[in-house]
Amino acid sequence: MDTASKGTETSITLKGVMQAPVTPLKDDGSFDAAGFEKMVDFHVRNGAPAIAWPHHKAESLNLTIAERKLGAEVAVKTVARRVPVSIFTGTMSEEDSLDIARHAKKIGADMILAISPYCRRPTQDEIFDSMVRIGTATDLPLLTYNSPWRNGEGVEFTGELTRRLIERLPNYIGMKDASFHSEKFLEISRVALSMRPGFAIIMGVEHLLASYPLGACGSFSSSGAIAPKLCNKFFASLVAHDWPTARECQYKISRLWRLFKEQYPSSLKGAMIMMGRPVGPTRSPLPTATKERIDFLRQQLEELNILQTEPIGW
Amino acid sequence: MTNFKPGFVHTPVTPFKRDHSIDYDQYAKVIDFHLRNGAEALALPMPQGEDMSLTDPELRKVIEFGINEVKGRVPVIAHVSDAGTAIAVERARHAEQMGAAAIASHPPYFWHPKPAMVVEHLAQIGTATKLPFFVCSPPVEDVGTPLTTEIVLQLIDRAGNLAGVIDASMDWVFMVEAVSLGRGKRPGFQLVTGTDYMVSAGVIGGSGAFSPLASVAPKLARKLYDACAGQQFVAARKPQEDMASLHHLVKGAGLAGLKAAMRAMGRECGVPRPPARALGEVEYGRLMEHVNAMTFLAAEPRGW
Repeated sequence: MDTASKGTETSITLKGVMQAPVTPLKDDGSFDAAGFEKMVDFHVRNGAPAIAWPHHKAESLNLTIAERKLGAEVAVKTVARRVPVSIFTGTMSEEDSLDIARHAKKIGADMILAISPYCRRPTQDEIFDSMVRIGTATDLPLLTYNSPWRNGEGVEFTGELTRRLIERLPNYIGMKDASFHSEKFLEISRVALSMRPGFAIIMGVEHLLASYPLGACGSFSSSGAIAPKLCNKFFASLVAHDWPTARECQYKISRLWRLFKEQYPSSLKGAMIMMGRPVGPTRSPLPTATKERIDFLRQQLEELNILQTEPIGW
Repeated sequence: MTNFKPGFVHTPVTPFKRDHSIDYDQYAKVIDFHLRNGAEALALPMPQGEDMSLTDPELRKVIEFGINEVKGRVPVIAHVSDAGTAIAVERARHAEQMGAAAIASHPPYFWHPKPAMVVEHLAQIGTATKLPFFVCSPPVEDVGTPLTTEIVLQLIDRAGNLAGVIDASMDWVFMVEAVSLGRGKRPGFQLVTGTDYMVSAGVIGGSGAFSPLASVAPKLARKLYDACAGQQFVAARKPQEDMASLHHLVKGAGLAGLKAAMRAMGRECGVPRPPARALGEVEYGRLMEHVNAMTFLAAEPRGW
């Protein structure tokens, strides 16, 4: 999906299984910049059509703002314009989000992904105001993150809120959608794609099978660090409308997601050890995968034929 | 027994007279309308049929009446959800005696028991008859007990006649897990969409649909169903978007929305039974305006 916005020099192509790297940490829990370079480069060399960091799987809220800025700089420098780079601005404080957005512009990132405000059961007007403040802090293309929770917490973008934001923000180019819900997805897609045909609806993890025929253009990956070949095969089958293959891939990726969502992202980091790509511990209060958990993950990855078919090492 | 395929299922409303008693003359018209407009099966009385507002004798009579009216032309699926296990079990047995083709049930209404008790409740209902059994996954915004993947997988072990899930949760994570892991335990395990959102369920691997809006737009519902059944999911996007806009309108008017939309299409079925509130004339006028503005409804039948 080609998306052009006022204020950007080039159009951005957003489609496919885009990769959202984890954050490698050293044994003492400090940010591993060299490891992060390897992580980002691995994704680009393995077909990632875009890089997005630091999402929740990257432990974004457990990183300091200084670490997030450093990581953003490493990502932009390592990618070196091979694919677009999105910087996630979600923080507890909107002031920090604005700071990260301006920093992203300064270092040459291609777009920002915003969610705000966290943990406050915001009204639709509060979300609107916050997105306008962040979206107008720079002229970078803006993606918003729709994260409705079953219990009414979370930050939910309705179709009506999406309409208001598209009208207000010329640089509003797309949404990361984590509703994973037919009705909610269609309320957004019907509005957004009719008002702004290039609007990029990107699934929060690879629930692409249910959304691709309805206009989703790709996903931010949960399992690309483990199985990039599977991710690429999945998207190619969707483009070809090869539904049996797409179904087979979706079922496999969903089994991976079922493994990883338990203690996310520590299980993902644990599984990466098995793939020869160790990325260190997970920061507290999230747990680090135990030896027993890692053994279980190895068994599951073998059963899914991932260990045998996906790249090992960097 | 688990090979029964519901196909394209219509879920009729229950018409009421002014005194709130069931209007069986009108009900006969409703059933006839559905049979003439593409229903491959009927499910009675689903939430669109206001099952929770009917007494136990009425619930039994509705199923009996429906089966007698249909006269074997299509299968009738009996929906027997209730709060109490024994009540739902007895209603399932009655439906089997009357000639129902399959049984469907939600997790228990009202209570929030632990998952093991939900499994027990549904297993008792399922094994009460020899008919194919379907469990219903309620909408995510419902206040009742959700149906989880783990409950479904345990039920497959408990009920040999569990044929599949009728999903109204519209939750993609649940749907993918239920159909993929369910088939790992029972090949042919079915995912049937319980809403008019057919594309996502279909592409995930579902088959069959329970269509509440077939009461309003049977041609559009059929077109959408046929496209999905033919694996033409991209082509199904436009009818799906039209159906979503109709759903949005009807849902926005609350429980009375479906009957009001039917009235706007010339098919009067009375108002919902209290405590559900009927639309006032102003609200109805507003809904009617929206219905008239939906150009895709021009091809739909008006009147009976």
